[in-house]
Amino acid sequence: MDKLLYDAVVLGGGLAGLMSAHEIASAGYRVAVISKVFPTRSHSSSAEGGIAAYVKGNSDPNDNPDYMTYDTVKGGDYLVDQDAAELLSQKSGEIVEIMERWGTLFNRQPDGRVALRYFGGQTYPRTRFVGDKTGMALLHTLFERVSGLSVDFFNEWFALDLVLDEKRVAGVLAMEMKSMEPSLFKAKAVVLATGGMGMLYAHTTNAYINTGDGYAMALRAGAALKDPEFVQFHPTALYPSDILISEAARGEGGILRNNKGERFMARYAPKKLDLAPRDIASRSIIIEIREGRGFPGNYVGLDLTHLGESYIKERLALAYEAAMNFAGVDATKEPIPVRPAQHYYMGGVDVDITGTNGDLQGLFAAGEAACVSVHGANRLGSNSLLETLVFGRETGRTVVEYLRTHNESTSTTLEGEAEKLLEQAYSFVKSESGIHFGEIQNKLRQVMWDDVGIFRNEDLLKSGLSEVEKMRTQVKEMYVTDKSKVYNTEFFNALELRNMMDLAVVISKAALVRTESRGAHFRTDYPERDDKNWLKHTIAYLKGNQVEIGYKPVTLTRWQPEARVY
Amino acid sequence: MVQEQSNLEQTEVVIKVKRYNQEKGEYWSEYKLSVDRFTQMTEVLRRVKTEQDPTIAYRASCHMAVCGSCAMKINGEPRLACKTLALDMVKKYGSNQITVEPMDFFKVEKDLIVDMDDFYARMFTVKPRLYPSEEVLKGNAESRLRPEDQKELWKFAQCIWCGLCVSSCPAVRIDSKFLGPAAHAKGYRFLADPRDTIYDERLKILGDSAWRCTYCYQCFNVCPRDVEPVTTIKKTRAQTRFLKDKTEVVKTGEKHVRAIYESIRDTGKLEEAKVYLTTYGLATAITDMLYTMRNGKMSFALIKEKKVSEIAQIQKLMGEKE
Ligand SMILES: Cc1cc2nc3c(=O)[nH]c(=O)nc-3n(C[C@H](O)[C@H](O)[C@H](O)COP(=O)(O)OP(=O)(O)OC[C@H]3O[C@@H](n4cnc5c(N)ncnc54)[C@H](O)[C@@H]3O)c2cc1C
Ligand code: SF4
Ligand code: SF4
Ligand code: FES
Repeated sequence: MDKLLYDAVVLGGGLAGLMSAHEIASAGYRVAVISKVFPTRSHSSSAEGGIAAYVKGNSDPNDNPDYMTYDTVKGGDYLVDQDAAELLSQKSGEIVEIMERWGTLFNRQPDGRVALRYFGGQTYPRTRFVGDKTGMALLHTLFERVSGLSVDFFNEWFALDLVLDEKRVAGVLAMEMKSMEPSLFKAKAVVLATGGMGMLYAHTTNAYINTGDGYAMALRAGAALKDPEFVQFHPTALYPSDILISEAARGEGGILRNNKGERFMARYAPKKLDLAPRDIASRSIIIEIREGRGFPGNYVGLDLTHLGESYIKERLALAYEAAMNFAGVDATKEPIPVRPAQHYYMGGVDVDITGTNGDLQGLFAAGEAACVSVHGANRLGSNSLLETLVFGRETGRTVVEYLRTHNESTSTTLEGEAEKLLEQAYSFVKSESGIHFGEIQNKLRQVMWDDVGIFRNEDLLKSGLSEVEKMRTQVKEMYVTDKSKVYNTEFFNALELRNMMDLAVVISKAALVRTESRGAHFRTDYPERDDKNWLKHTIAYLKGNQVEIGYKPVTLTRWQPEARVY
Repeated sequence: MVQEQSNLEQTEVVIKVKRYNQEKGEYWSEYKLSVDRFTQMTEVLRRVKTEQDPTIAYRASCHMAVCGSCAMKINGEPRLACKTLALDMVKKYGSNQITVEPMDFFKVEKDLIVDMDDFYARMFTVKPRLYPSEEVLKGNAESRLRPEDQKELWKFAQCIWCGLCVSSCPAVRIDSKFLGPAAHAKGYRFLADPRDTIYDERLKILGDSAWRCTYCYQCFNVCPRDVEPVTTIKKTRAQTRFLKDKTEVVKTGEKHVRAIYESIRDTGKLEEAKVYLTTYGLATAITDMLYTMRNGKMSFALIKEKKVSEIAQIQKLMGEKE
């Protein structure tokens, strides 16, 4: 096995990973970015609606970072760590200005300053955008910027596992997908920026590559996930292909209508109406459909027609294009067919406000892979792009500090550890018969959607958990039919499925244990939020077949829990 | 939970995929499956891989035409698989059989996966990043951008590095000094940014190459993001008059265009321009020449929108604009 030596390894070439790498490289350290796709193919490229930011001198005159923090805390149903949310708000303007200087082509106001729009749950409009391809614009800017620094990119390299030296992360085992050759990347610090896990669900707006690898790698290495039961569903995914119709569509004035033409959000969120946060809007849509007010095929309409053709085509180009290309609907003339789909993962590798994981020395995480936690039980739209950049940078800086103050691992057993991990991965290729990944994957996605989805209860969760546990055993008997030695994507899909299983079992268990409803976690058998017993973070470990659940207090600074009405 | 139901009409299609791997060489595989009118070709491939044949290799990520992973040939056309609905292909070609092949030009690694290293190298050649002034970088100066500049630049910034234009560009194939359409689009996006500080260096990188394009418009036709790489090449040609050390290719190109231009303007005859015009079509050729003759900062859009049909009209247009 080849060995490569770095100061730090960043897993993930999305916004969070690139921003961390930028900081580490700028401080003069040797950093490798490993990504299973060419960085601009990362999921960050799909983000549409925008990035939230309070920019001094270019915001609503009544707005300030405190309102932004408050919106975030309330949006997250008080499971947000308020010190983290404060940091997010305070650094938001600076981050947007940096991206602007590096060349992101933000939409402009007539005077040339960056423009802004409303997003769900915002007291004042503060979302900055590039049409509705904000993620792509930011990701390209950042990738282009970082590719000009001395950062080594390992693109289309698949990370299998973290390599440990006692209680400390000392490297990463990864494989070049083209040659199928494994390498041990030795490093003092590893940043997990591997993004989300949408492929666990039958309906998702996420990229095909979002299989939760980072969460599973952390779990297998012995690190905890924080709040794993919190899965966000987006109310407006295009029917039937689940392509996201950005929240910007409602931000710009789009109206949800049922089959009677009613603006049904008036029933569920009388004040915020269609701009209610995602969990509320998602559940409202499902209720409408269940009660027979959806359209045949089970969807509702997102009406933009009153906005006018030119406005739609300019400000909501992607929504217009997606409806046209993928559903044959002209959004200037008729409502877009939409339904909820999995969208974002609030849970993640347990890190503090600096991006540091407390279980394993040398392990850091940022972006959707991490739970800092700024989103709590429910993320507000356009806060996630912001998080990737703000906390990507914070984490990069923490790593720089860590590199300054810590020595290299002197362990001589690392290679042996890496060999062992590789053997475990290869065990799939070796067997000559069994089931292949696809058979289990499709079933897993359906079980998670049906049983661990938008509406949960004890019966569903119990049966979901037992199904997932069964499948997890099956995965051990999985085999890979393809034996080719170049881009054996079946092999990597099998490893992804192993990761999905490790994560699925943790999500299901944590969801079963939390007997209350909060944000995106909605229990029909416990429909109320229960601050007395549950104003606390779930901390979950995976020990073999056991999920171990513990708790951590939520950091409250200035905002006491109040009823979450919109 | 809400009942999952698909009440959409299903149609059976046959997918023929061109396969390749080192061990077996080249061969074709055929798959049958049912699709509805919304089924994307990426979904077809995903279903083939998870339900029928896990060995098939392809790239796909976003399934919404923004990541640029899924470039391939579908029924011979260079396309993004996610932006292609299976039944649209059936309708267009009047056949339930759909063929899927890797992109042309690039070396095939396995099945539909091609080696993109050469493509990336071209993209990095043009220094694809903004070099703003020190003051701006430090945050001491505000950098405003006019909304109309933002719009113009954004068009060319939307390249998703998919490689389709390069796979179908005839010039790239025969001329190793030509950077290719995508790199030109990327290069121009920064060349034209008023906040950039390395204009001369960029022009030097792009200038010679810009005169090597054959104006065949293939890149214009295949680009799934409507980037119009050829337009950026025209706009770059129009700026090579500011180039300090012109290469032979640039000099000849500029001279050639001037000769044709003057001939038409003075005599109204198209003799000299015949080859050029028959190759590229009258309207296109004239538009291109006008682009080239003018300062890059003038109003291109105006010229482009004029429909040129008569020679008198052309002369008038030239007179007006000269
Ligand atoms: C359709 C859509 C629209 C969205 N719109 C918005 C929006 O408007 N505003 C907003 O704020 N948020 C939005 N979001 C959310 C936001 O885009 C994501 O949360 C964010 O981009 C995640 O960035 P990231 O850097 O954490 O991860 P990603 O961009 O997902 O990057 C993950 C990286 O990890 C790599 N990786 C993963 N596993 C491995 C492995 N095993 N080995 C090697 N590399 C690996 C991948 O290759 C990739 O480079 C949207 C999300 C979706 C789905
Ligand atoms: S117009 Fe030029 S760049 Fe575009 S495909 Fe033809 S030769 Fe290539
Ligand atoms: S210019 Fe268009 S076709 Fe060419 S790489 Fe970019 S997006 Fe693809
Ligand atoms: S999958 Fe991203 S462009 Fe097709």
